[in-house]
Amino acid sequence: MYDINLKNVTKGFGNLQAVNDITFTIPKSSVTVLLGPSGCGKTTLMRMIAGLETPTSGSIFFDDIDVTRVPTKRRNLGMVFQYPVIYRGTSVKRNLELPLLSEKLSAGEISKRVNDVADLLGISGDLNKMVEELDNGTRQKIAVGRAIARQPQIILFDEPITNIDITAKLELKRSLKEVFSRLSQTIVYVTHDQTEAMTLADQIALMQDGVITQCAPPKEIYEKPKSQFAGWFLGNPGINFIEKEHISVAGSGINSSLFSQTIDAGSHASQVKVLGVRAEAIEVKTTQSPEARSARVVRKSLGIGGQYLLDLEYGSLKVKARVAHQLGREIGDQVWTTITSSDVIMFNEAGVAI
Amino acid sequence: MSEKVEKFESKIKSTSTARANKRMSWLLLAPVLIFFAMMNILPTIWMLGLSFYNYTLTSANGATYAGLSNYFDFVKNEQLSQSVSRTFLFLIIAIICQTFLGILIGVLFWKNDKMPGKRLALTLLFTPMVVTPIATALFWKLILDPTFGVMNYFLTSLGLSKVDFLTSSSLAFPTLIVVDTWMWTPFMALMTLAALGSVPKAELEAASVDKLPIYRQVTTVIWPHAKFILMLGILLRSIDAFKTMDLTYIMTNGGPGDRTELIALSLYRFAFKSFKLGYASAVSVFLLFIAIALTAIYLHVLNARKKAEAQA
Repeated sequence: MYDINLKNVTKGFGNLQAVNDITFTIPKSSVTVLLGPSGCGKTTLMRMIAGLETPTSGSIFFDDIDVTRVPTKRRNLGMVFQYPVIYRGTSVKRNLELPLLSEKLSAGEISKRVNDVADLLGISGDLNKMVEELDNGTRQKIAVGRAIARQPQIILFDEPITNIDITAKLELKRSLKEVFSRLSQTIVYVTHDQTEAMTLADQIALMQDGVITQCAPPKEIYEKPKSQFAGWFLGNPGINFIEKEHISVAGSGINSSLFSQTIDAGSHASQVKVLGVRAEAIEVKTTQSPEARSARVVRKSLGIGGQYLLDLEYGSLKVKARVAHQLGREIGDQVWTTITSSDVIMFNEAGVAI
Repeated sequence: MSEKVEKFESKIKSTSTARANKRMSWLLLAPVLIFFAMMNILPTIWMLGLSFYNYTLTSANGATYAGLSNYFDFVKNEQLSQSVSRTFLFLIIAIICQTFLGILIGVLFWKNDKMPGKRLALTLLFTPMVVTPIATALFWKLILDPTFGVMNYFLTSLGLSKVDFLTSSSLAFPTLIVVDTWMWTPFMALMTLAALGSVPKAELEAASVDKLPIYRQVTTVIWPHAKFILMLGILLRSIDAFKTMDLTYIMTNGGPGDRTELIALSLYRFAFKSFKLGYASAVSVFLLFIAIALTAIYLHVLNARKKAEAQA
């Protein structure tokens, strides 16, 4: 399998710089998710890896082979598109066979691969159906099947779940998870959906304005965002930001109306401009204790999974806290909160984590 | 009680508004419907009736009922049957050439998406299609003129002998096909471009990722999408080519002999040279049936496309 090495890759469309000088390695035999909001350049980056777009400047290597100008057909990769692509007027079986026909495989091998892939994706019963008869979810499974049946070195997924209806979406996501666990290929998956990214990725490459701002395993990127953007984009709700007017720096310590204790920032204290705290890191209690801070509930939102969100007010500072359903507090009630120092993330003026 | 009355009154009101709306829509449609009836339906019925009569404008006798004799005459008339088969031959050869060249040009433009000056080239390419056929016929007649034409000037400059394209019995018919092809190939190129434009980009990209060879790309990706628009193009051209008259009338006037006499020109002669209106009407009815048959196929293709789209 190949590593994908991007060296100073840039792509512009007229005045728009879609991908801006990216140097990055996508490790072999892993699932890397390119995650970011619409227009951040993730699809353009994937299309350049596929050879469907040519970089304005920079190079793309599969291991140490320069493929920047190599046409798609010769890159030995599979790709699943956002729009479920099927070859019309043919059966599911024929759809899965078509990419294998140019691989010069024996009829037995083709048939084996088609059956294996159909088993893996749970579409064995549909093999003889015409593709037009199937719903979008199954069509997308066929597209996934086509991409993996050829056993290419690299498989690319361009938001494959986006255009699928909600029930088929879950089923398809489950199938993909299963498929990814079995494959040893280098997989690149583009999405704007953080849940998909968190579920499927070995590592998430977070993109913003044409650059990769952070690349780390899902847990790490969630717990230790390297930028305010990463903290805001990942998580629902995004991280709480405590702006500089609500914090005070004294030597190496940082205080805020949110904390009862002083947070030690060491030698970086003077650089700290914003603090970040996840909603679930705020422990909310209904009884007073010496180490807790008092807050008032100003909004209560319905949550899922036995939890809901509270908007808490500490004087002029407002934050969101995720609490268990049993807490039973209502708007206007008083609560007491504590936060562990290690759960506080510090950002400098440029929004970069310290 | 008063509530009931109010309800009843509002019902009457809404019914009368609906009636007024309906009347208004008929009123607005009336000019078009009257025009359509006067210019299309009545003449067609008139023609149908006339086809059962012997009626010659230059004859002192009025119209006499002739039953199906005009139709029998038409079937028996060898010259006319030749004219019909010549028209079909013209239609088939011209459309094959136009479709082939149109697809070729369309694909070239489609493939070379970033060709500099593409827009200008496309505009120039489509010029023949927008010129009035009469004008096209006239300037081709001048180009091909044995004495003054530029074509013969070039031929003689190359040391070749002069060719009389339009009066040569072997060349007149092919020349007519060439000029028709010159005029209508851009239309088929346009239809090809539209047809290729209807193929989803993702499917083409998937085919190239899946390493499908070009013939498989054509059969499994391009053709299923492009076939409808291409077939519509061919059908529209067929309906139009069947009625070709302006080219032959100006360029050859059916000659030499009857070598380029197409059915529309024959019809014109019967109606407006010999003034045999009854007979000409019978021929027109025949042409009408062919046009209806072609239109039926056209509608069938349109419906098939709608069905396929609904399935997708």
